[in-house]
Amino acid sequence: MATPTSPAAQDAPAEPPSPPSPTASFYDMSDDEEGGYSTIRHSKTGKGVKLLYTKSKVYVHPSPSAKDNIPGYIALIQQKPGLERTVSATPQSSRIHAERNGLLLAWVPESSLGSASDIYTKVELADGDSPPKQSYLVPPPPITTAHSSSLGTYAFAIPLTEIFSILVRPPSVGWWFGSVIINTRAGDSFPALFFHDSECQSTIQQRKKLQRESLEISASGQGMFWGGDEVLRWLKRYVTVERSVQEPNIYLIEPSEADKLSFGSGGKPTSDNVRNVLEGKAKDHPSPSSRNKDAQMDPVMQALKSARWNFLEKMAQVTTFTRRTAQAVAENKNLPPQVRRLLQNPQVQTVSDEFDSARLYLARWAMGIAEQSEREKNQRMWTAKDVLDMEDSELGEFEIVDAEQMSLADKRKPVTLKEWNGFFNSRTGRLEKTPDEVKERIFHGGLNADDGVRKEAYLFLLGVYEWDSSEEERDAKMNSLRDEYIRLKGAWWERMVDEQGTLEEREWWKEQKMRIEKDVHRTDRHIPLFAGEDIPHPDPDSPFAESGTNVHMEQMKDMLLTYNEYNRDLGYVQGMSDLLAPIYAIEQDDAVAFWGFVHFMERMERNFLRDQSGMRLQLLTLDHLCQFLDPKLYDHLQKLDSTNFFFFFRMLLVWFKREFEFTDILRMWEGLWTDYLSSNFHLFLAMAILEKHRDVIIDHLKGFDEVLKYVNELSGTIDLPSTMIRAEALFRRFQRMVEAIDKKSNFPIPTVRQRLPQPPSESTTTRPGADGKPRQASQSSSESARRSANLAVIASGPGPGSSSSKAGASTSGRERTTGDAIAQGIGAEKEKVISPELRILLSKELPKLDKHEVREHGGGVGS
Amino acid sequence: MAGTRNYDFLIKLLLIGDSGVGKSCCLLRFSEDSFTPSFITTIGIDFKIRTIELDGKRVKLQIWDTAGQERFRTITTAYYRGAMGILLVYDVTDEKSFNNIRTWFSNVEQHATEGVNKILIGNKCDWEEKRAVSTEQGQALADELGIPFMEVSAKSNINVEKAFFSLASDIKKRIVDTQQPQAQQQQSGVQVGGAGGMAGGLGKNCC
Repeated sequence: MATPTSPAAQDAPAEPPSPPSPTASFYDMSDDEEGGYSTIRHSKTGKGVKLLYTKSKVYVHPSPSAKDNIPGYIALIQQKPGLERTVSATPQSSRIHAERNGLLLAWVPESSLGSASDIYTKVELADGDSPPKQSYLVPPPPITTAHSSSLGTYAFAIPLTEIFSILVRPPSVGWWFGSVIINTRAGDSFPALFFHDSECQSTIQQRKKLQRESLEISASGQGMFWGGDEVLRWLKRYVTVERSVQEPNIYLIEPSEADKLSFGSGGKPTSDNVRNVLEGKAKDHPSPSSRNKDAQMDPVMQALKSARWNFLEKMAQVTTFTRRTAQAVAENKNLPPQVRRLLQNPQVQTVSDEFDSARLYLARWAMGIAEQSEREKNQRMWTAKDVLDMEDSELGEFEIVDAEQMSLADKRKPVTLKEWNGFFNSRTGRLEKTPDEVKERIFHGGLNADDGVRKEAYLFLLGVYEWDSSEEERDAKMNSLRDEYIRLKGAWWERMVDEQGTLEEREWWKEQKMRIEKDVHRTDRHIPLFAGEDIPHPDPDSPFAESGTNVHMEQMKDMLLTYNEYNRDLGYVQGMSDLLAPIYAIEQDDAVAFWGFVHFMERMERNFLRDQSGMRLQLLTLDHLCQFLDPKLYDHLQKLDSTNFFFFFRMLLVWFKREFEFTDILRMWEGLWTDYLSSNFHLFLAMAILEKHRDVIIDHLKGFDEVLKYVNELSGTIDLPSTMIRAEALFRRFQRMVEAIDKKSNFPIPTVRQRLPQPPSESTTTRPGADGKPRQASQSSSESARRSANLAVIASGPGPGSSSSKAGASTSGRERTTGDAIAQGIGAEKEKVISPELRILLSKELPKLDKHEVREHGGGVGS
Repeated sequence: MAGTRNYDFLIKLLLIGDSGVGKSCCLLRFSEDSFTPSFITTIGIDFKIRTIELDGKRVKLQIWDTAGQERFRTITTAYYRGAMGILLVYDVTDEKSFNNIRTWFSNVEQHATEGVNKILIGNKCDWEEKRAVSTEQGQALADELGIPFMEVSAKSNINVEKAFFSLASDIKKRIVDTQQPQAQQQQSGVQVGGAGGMAGGLGKNCC
């Protein structure tokens, strides 16, 4: 059974040929018991354990930062055989053999070896072909069977019988260090162990030896010898190690027949496969060996299939392997919390019986798995050329490969305070690089999260400081801004105390104050800065008078009230507190944060207009962008009446604030603030998120509400670094496509395509010009009519027409004719049209609103 | 849709009312039976699902939750048209939110499907010491508007279940029980099972 000491071993029913399933007691064992048990065990043997093989410079990488790496030894050790052991649980003789031998695979940090370190070195450098004849005894490492060990270190020692498989990644250009991940039979995984071969004496020695023996080793395509090979070789001496046919990176340890089949030749979880299983089509193709086929199915497919049968109830009745997979699914931290809840809370399951949502989550989960195995297959570095080739290969059909590898290639480190200070002249404090150079650095690398560089850099990025200012000028500016903040704050204080203004104004003011009060108390309260209530509330009438407040929330309220006063045309609107919180968290000075926020709001103002015209423009742009870059996805969304892209409303309104962790938001926003590629880069981020899920959307989502729900629930599951890289790739691709079309348009006939609809002469326009200049000019009443007409177009979902007809709908009849002519000229081939909304995406200029526009559409008391 | 259908009727409900009155909290209480005091503001629109049993039929409720601030009304009213039932929510400790119910109501009249079922909900009724709107005032307004009324507390789990059930049951009576089965879909938009849906152009189909 599971472990020689598991008390449940005797009770477990024999279930051949399946591998043992984790028993309850296995999990029930508390930390204390676990600790006690290993002590007893070792005190019984009385001595140390026998070190058979070991290898040094095997690291755990607890974080992406190399300075956190922990060096250690991987070791195969043997404890005194079977004294405390009376029952053997499985009939497999080799397993018994391994158990009798008391073999454990262990990793111990160098720092914990103490005096045993000499022995480790000696064993490591011993001739590795056979275990040392002499017994080298070392202190027993703590036995752990799950990596969430109570010990708080990464050290572990796991009986070979407990290892289910080892995921092996040889070193490659993309993954500098080869690594192994040990998966236990209980469905747990230990952290990856990285072999720093170039530091490891035994590997260097063995490599030399191999090279002497066979010169063609490295040329034979077998790959270079590395530490992981050696570990597999140790294991093979004692247990059966079988390489999975299907996933060549997986080595199964003592696989049962069922395991072999599972990893044998079943289909990979392609989206077709998944769909078939989910929709029950798998049995539509009966074959004489269909039963056999089931057994051969990939574990993922089996899990999915069992899900289809009846999600939880039947889970326990299908094969143990599936059960284990299901368990692993439930415990997988990468799983969307909704699914985890679904799997872990049977009551929720029975109450809602939401098979439909389970279906979607499983599809998404399967997509993740498929992606991961794809990634592992493509273990090589993407070069810029690869990306270019890939993107150029087909303009129409969209397929951008996950470019995560690029991030490894681009060694873009965050800008540190030291580097930042180096950008400036030490005497004058003037920037000595071009703003573009600095922006490029920040766009790609971000700013260091810990050294305080953000505090200063944000003021430049947001535009509080001019890039070409001297330190002296900045100091002077900050002083006057501080004064100004105090003055503004005083103004609303007076208003509050004296109850100045018209009745309407006073009402509005009271309402806004209450709104801010309520919103601040529910903004980012999980961030330590805003958590807790340690001071009494100053206002006894506040709904939060009883619960109290804290100083940072009070600062937030002051700043928002001041902004409400400062920009009376717009006033405070929900969502603004989300935009202010990160800036305040960095600056932690209300006057400074206020001005940073004011500048941020210049950019974001359009999101908060009463008529929602700014949001609509962005959603419409996203519509055009999707149509342009991924027509197939767009067609599908059109069928679902989802081309209003309303499901991106939240993401665009507060710049993805609700979708990412706070720390990610800082990294994202500092990138967006640079306007390095486009002042609307956030729309490319949105596209990147959408593209990532396009297959699931196309294959599984059947209505607007499903899309909305699906996208809303991506919150908290999106990986930022890869999304940013995808967004950049999308931008580059977009840029090239526009250039290509513009060039094409210079040929005689299709020139009409490039001619953009002229605005009607009787009304000024807010539509962006063909030159990519931002929108400007004031609004007329016919313009607002157009705006509402536009809403209708968006809200009802566009017909099958292209962007040109939509653009036509929002302008005059004359232009619509032009649009039709264009459409006809293009004919069936469905050419790409660069709408003004798209063209503006190439601009880096800030999409600031005219003050008149805000006054007219703001919705504040001044408007 | 997946092959399985686990409900007999799909009913779409909509929660509206001033920001901070506790719309999302009521929904969370009803759909997941939980309560979080420090919530987040709702941005845009979202929905939750709960399937209940009414007269032996499984009724799937798809409940849409909206941002309360007036500023977002142009967006949220687009969703009124698909709703078969609307919960107008105010906060019994916030008189302003109660006074605004009339505005919300006229919005409904203007944008929602005619004959849509409505219910007036006074939330936070557990908070007696802060109460600013009496039960009688609530009832009087409800009578005036000609709609049912209930005081609830998402926090203390008072009447939330009852409010949703009562609205759902009224809708079922109105649409399903009074019409010929054949005519159901065209006339009311209620779905018997599978497809069809949220009108208002913003979406269709169920989840």
